[in-house]
Amino acid sequence: MAYLIAFHWGWLLASLLLGLGMGWIAVVSRVRPVSSRWMLILSVLAAILVALALTRIVPGRFGYWLDLLLLMFVPYLVGCAIGSQLRDWVVRRTMPPV
Amino acid sequence: MRGLFRWSGKWWPGVVPLVLFWAIAAWNNTASVEADLGGKSAAAVKDIVLDKTRISVDGRDVTFAADAFSEDGRHGALIAVETVPGVRLVNDESRLVPEAKPFVWSAQREVARITLAGNAPLPAVRAKLMDVARDEVKGIEISDQMNLARGAPAHFEDAAVLLIGQISKLKDGKVAISDSGVTLSGMARELGGREAIAAALRNLPQGFSVSANDVRAPPYVFQANKDPVAVTLTLSGYVPDENVHAAILGSASRKFFSEKVVDNLKTSVGAPSGFVNAAIPALGVLSRLSTGTLVVSDREVKISGDALYEAAAAQIKAGLPKDFPRDFQVKADISVKPASAPVDATVCQQLFNDLLSKAKVRFLTGRATIDSDSAGLLDHLIETALRCPNANIEIAGHTDSDGEDAANQALSERRAQAVLDYFVKAGLPADRFTATGYGSSQPIASNDTDDGRAQNRRIEFLVR
Repeated sequence: MAYLIAFHWGWLLASLLLGLGMGWIAVVSRVRPVSSRWMLILSVLAAILVALALTRIVPGRFGYWLDLLLLMFVPYLVGCAIGSQLRDWVVRRTMPPV
Repeated sequence: MRGLFRWSGKWWPGVVPLVLFWAIAAWNNTASVEADLGGKSAAAVKDIVLDKTRISVDGRDVTFAADAFSEDGRHGALIAVETVPGVRLVNDESRLVPEAKPFVWSAQREVARITLAGNAPLPAVRAKLMDVARDEVKGIEISDQMNLARGAPAHFEDAAVLLIGQISKLKDGKVAISDSGVTLSGMARELGGREAIAAALRNLPQGFSVSANDVRAPPYVFQANKDPVAVTLTLSGYVPDENVHAAILGSASRKFFSEKVVDNLKTSVGAPSGFVNAAIPALGVLSRLSTGTLVVSDREVKISGDALYEAAAAQIKAGLPKDFPRDFQVKADISVKPASAPVDATVCQQLFNDLLSKAKVRFLTGRATIDSDSAGLLDHLIETALRCPNANIEIAGHTDSDGEDAANQALSERRAQAVLDYFVKAGLPADRFTATGYGSSQPIASNDTDDGRAQNRRIEFLVR
């Protein structure tokens, strides 16, 4: 893990920034949100991928690419969460008192 | 928290560029990651003794193949690769080097090549043996046909190095180790080489023993070549020691009265017993030839050349069986030199004088028995007498003044008669010769000195 982070820190930083941007936009975006059913499906898919990575079943380059994908997803999600939280805080501060 | 869950439903559009990032990262970095992990894995096993190490990386999975020389070494190498940071999985394709039973190693020398073959216990030992062979025999191709194997006996390296040291003493042959047994075969390069190898084998490491030593010695060769053009007698080859060397040189200088003796002899052990008893008579035979070659090779004597006249050739052939030790085989190829043109009495006298100015007919001390060293001179004197068939020749004997006059007179007569008899035996007609003794009455030098007395003891030829 430490090796992957050290080797791909630039890409992980890019994922984090992408997540920050996406999270920032998501709070005020009019895009149609993913339904709960799809959210469940995607969560299960993610869990399966994580399980495959942890059990090291996927061999060779495919295994490495799976590890890299999951690793890049983490800063993306973290960035999204931070971005959304910040945007929500900014929006709340600028709203006129009711 | 509820807000976070609600907003997360709108994060999906960012996944598209994220996947794009991932694809670019994977495209760019896969080869770099594989090269990096490959280099680090190779560095991790660098100090572990392995053979045929192959490391290949697929993603972060390392395939490690190598031949190890012990189970500990194999296990240690595997752990070293597994603990390289970044390595995900290790496919272990390592194995133990096969064990050789028996553990066999050999070094074979041909004319222009040395081949090291068989088993070597470690790569470093294999390289060292090659280096030792290169140092030991410079300028010769060294071929490495060794395979690595386990099961070498203790001190194998020391034993192999010692045996490679013996290869330089062989002209051709093979040295080999089979477990703790050592075998040697082939031909020693020089006389004494076989003995030197046997001496070196006494220093084999503990536990090793010589199973067979079939190293042969080269033939012990002594050669003499009589060259009538250069007027030289060239001696070459070997003699057993300095005493024999001096004896042969002394004998040659007495027998070959007009030739310059060129001494190229070397001393070496390995002479057959009775060598000197064969070499000196063989020189005596050669001294009777006008031109010829003598080769004593171990116990075989080969003499070839031209005798000065027919009877000499017959005498030489007849004398061979009794002149040489029984265990020597003598092969003589004696032909006869074409007869020289006849000359008149004056020239004949001159020829006698020339011969006798170079050497004297020698007798045993105080007796009328001709010394065998004078056979060559007598043959030349007979050849000269054959060239003047119409001349009558007086053979005159002289002594020094030591002793009674009557005894000296008798001795000079008997010595002159002995020479006459020798001539008659050679086929010359007795009526052409007269033997006269002059005792000490006609000195040619002072009898007061050893040198003068030696000059006065002489045989002269007077052509009438």
